[in-house]
Amino acid sequence: MYRVALAMLALVAGATSASAQSMRSFSTFRQLHGETRLQVGLDYRAGGLRITPGRASELYRMDASYDEDRYAPTSTYDAARGIVTLGLQPAGAGGLRVVSTRQLRQDATVAFAPSVDLDLALALGAVRADIELGGLNLTALTMEAGASQAVVRFSEPNLSRCRAAEITAGAAELTVLGLGNSRCDRFSLEGGMGKITLDFAGTWTSSTAAEIKMAMGELTLRLPRNVGVRLTLDRFLASFDPAGLVRTGKAFESPGYDRAERTLDIDLTTAVGGVKVEWVK
Amino acid sequence: MPPSGAGARARTLARTLALLALVVLSPRLASAEPSVPAGETAVHLVRNFWDLVASQQGEERTARPESRAIEPAPQGAAPVDLSDLSNPARIESRLKSALAPRDGAVRLTVSEGTARLGDYRIGAADAIEGHLLVVQGDADVYGRLHGNLVTVDGDVIVHPGALVSGDILALGGMVHDMGGEIGGEVRTLRHTSIVAPLRAVAAPEPTALETIGRRLAGVVGVFLTLAVLGFGLVMFGRPNLEVISDTASHSFGRAFVTGLLGQILVIPTFGMVIVGLILSVAGILLLPFAVAVYALLVIVGALGGFLGVAHAMGETYTRRRMALGAMIGSPNSYRYLVVGLGAVAVLWLAWSLFGWVPVAGTLIGGAAFLATWLLATAGFGAALLSRAGIRENFAGRLIPPEALTDEYLWATPQFGVPAARRPGGGRTPTRGL
Repeated sequence: MYRVALAMLALVAGATSASAQSMRSFSTFRQLHGETRLQVGLDYRAGGLRITPGRASELYRMDASYDEDRYAPTSTYDAARGIVTLGLQPAGAGGLRVVSTRQLRQDATVAFAPSVDLDLALALGAVRADIELGGLNLTALTMEAGASQAVVRFSEPNLSRCRAAEITAGAAELTVLGLGNSRCDRFSLEGGMGKITLDFAGTWTSSTAAEIKMAMGELTLRLPRNVGVRLTLDRFLASFDPAGLVRTGKAFESPGYDRAERTLDIDLTTAVGGVKVEWVK
Repeated sequence: MPPSGAGARARTLARTLALLALVVLSPRLASAEPSVPAGETAVHLVRNFWDLVASQQGEERTARPESRAIEPAPQGAAPVDLSDLSNPARIESRLKSALAPRDGAVRLTVSEGTARLGDYRIGAADAIEGHLLVVQGDADVYGRLHGNLVTVDGDVIVHPGALVSGDILALGGMVHDMGGEIGGEVRTLRHTSIVAPLRAVAAPEPTALETIGRRLAGVVGVFLTLAVLGFGLVMFGRPNLEVISDTASHSFGRAFVTGLLGQILVIPTFGMVIVGLILSVAGILLLPFAVAVYALLVIVGALGGFLGVAHAMGETYTRRRMALGAMIGSPNSYRYLVVGLGAVAVLWLAWSLFGWVPVAGTLIGGAAFLATWLLATAGFGAALLSRAGIRENFAGRLIPPEALTDEYLWATPQFGVPAARRPGGGRTPTRGL
């Protein structure tokens, strides 16, 4: 009986506190008027975030539901320079509601036109992110993730060549899938602590260099068999299982690296944790 | 000469088909008015839908004020700047203070622009220079607007061929891009509280008399509709209605429990049907049909059940009066329905009259709701138990075997039926008409 009473009390209290959060819906978009490039600065501090390719008729779009007591949406476009700034910025009380995770219901979906050259700079705070970059015209990617849980996908090949993809992750759980589809000339990752998975599968059209620095945590490298892989490893207290990579001087190479049409050169520095290698088709 | 069974069935079928045809055709006939562009119809549909949603959330839009220009703010008051809409929250805050009624009137100046109250339309041949603010109204753009456009508690509809060269901001509304050109950025911020003070000025609280009048009209309308539906049911499905009615009166407790369980299981059952159809793969094609049929069955069950209970109430009351010697002109199903529905309506009429009274009004409303729910639940259960009035198992029309004593068989001879066959046959004649 007491348990039932306590459960009822908790339910009522939960409902009361949940209703204290006032959510608002905000939408913004811009019609496509022949723009060919777009530089995006997306600053998203807390909540769920989804990025997808958008409609062909819209340059960009953001649909968000946010906690108006603590955040305010931003959406500015500089037509002269082709720069858009989107996101949710702290306002009012700021910070996160930490009474219950159920209250953190901020969500946003951001979409970009597949036809324009996209220079994407993401700054993510405490965010659960699902970022689909496949099928876009990505020319550059910069991503700074704080205490976030993010999945970055390149489900389809990037429509244009990407200069570089630079990712900085703090205390994060980060998964990057299909990096072979990214068509980036250079990939760099700087990880603080957490669990990071880098999947280099995809349609490889050129060779790539990857620079990975990981302070503490578990790093999983999923390497494609059809690409020559060379891994230069500098580790301190980190375990490493070559899983088929052959030691050649100071580096580890996949069999047939010298003869491979396309290569992936990984320069990996890690301090504490483990590096795991998995092979994918 | 009594009509043959086949003839009666044919006539019933013909009536049913005629009624169905009327139901199907009437909305089309009603909508036979000058054609409206398809896109516009869609916009109106969407807007009506959101109005409906808003009304369910207690954010019903008040009646739109007459379209007119908002008078300029008095000397010394700062104008509202709509040249930068990049921060909607700031614009909202600014407009909230600027639109606060002073001396019962709203006055506001938009720098390099105009302000309008109520719905506003920019015609196809019109070209407006400067920013435009539309308060408590929709902005229909067919022509050209060279500036920014802001609506408060209203939608923006940019029609094909229209141009808005600047940004658009809809505070408490939506933007419908029907194919026009929008040079700037489109932003929408839903659920604004800017117009709350305006509503207070525009729509004062209704008086107690007005409240009573509205409620009375609502209650009378609802019960008249129920009566019409009930008459239709009597006309086309009296045997079924009577079986439901008898089930409700003879097995009220059982019907109530069944109805309660039915209410609880309506949604899970629906989910199971949907999942089952999806899992069967081929059944996916039947999904829309199944959804429609299920919804229809639930509505028919609830409505038919409620009318059945009303019929039972009316019948019980009428028979008791007749037993006391009262002369009743025509004790038939129509009368039963009217009497039963009237009994339920009395509670709601009491609420209509005294609902405005603090505490007591709430109690009366609660009692009316509770009684109606109780009856509707029992009715729904009776409809389920009797399989929509097809099975008579719980209608008190079957004689249980233990009741077939020698005394009963001796006292109630059945014409033309050998007594030896009765325990197996089991049924007594139904009441018929």
